[in-house]
Amino acid sequence: MSRSYYELTYIINPVLEDDQTKEVVEKFTEFIRGNGGEIDEVDEWGIRKFAYEMDKKTSGYYVNAYFTAPGELIEKLERTLRIDDNIMRYLTLKYDAKMLRHRELQRKNAVPAVFLDEEDEEQEGDED
Amino acid sequence: MIKNPSHPKKGHIKTRECKFTKSGIEYIDYKDTELLEHVMNDQGKILPRRVTGTSAKFQRQLSRAIKRARFLGLAPYVAENLR
Repeated sequence: MSRSYYELTYIINPVLEDDQTKEVVEKFTEFIRGNGGEIDEVDEWGIRKFAYEMDKKTSGYYVNAYFTAPGELIEKLERTLRIDDNIMRYLTLKYDAKMLRHRELQRKNAVPAVFLDEEDEEQEGDED
Repeated sequence: MIKNPSHPKKGHIKTRECKFTKSGIEYIDYKDTELLEHVMNDQGKILPRRVTGTSAKFQRQLSRAIKRARFLGLAPYVAENLR
């Protein structure tokens, strides 16, 4: 039984009441715990507007979770997510070495910036 | 790029370098929509490598990250105006 680090993002129907939303988040967090998973972090982004209309809705409640779990859990988890009518979308990612290193940097808030201010870039160009 | 030293374009052509390689980032996160917007045009299309100068390795990562973001509604598939 191999364990890996996973990331799960899912979108809950935004029309639910606050306590119902809480219940759904609780349900999946408990599901992961109850099936041999170990929660690292659950980050609720809250209601966020979509970039495009999805199932006739313009926003959704985003939940982003990180956990360590055996591979068998994912199949079960995804089945539960698929069955749940309140879940609009979900995405599970297994972390590889690079992503783990990136996550470590994210935690330290030290992800290297790729795009600096536009002005700085031009100055660099002039120096060359 | 141009070997001939008397070539008229020598010195004019900018050698572009991959910004992702330069920054030392290892993984492109689909949740980082601010970064992804930099490599999309205002219609929400992925900018080609010849425009951004991204290396092939990171262009692949980028397209994957953008497609994930699109699936989750973080980035548009088509947009009139992104910004």
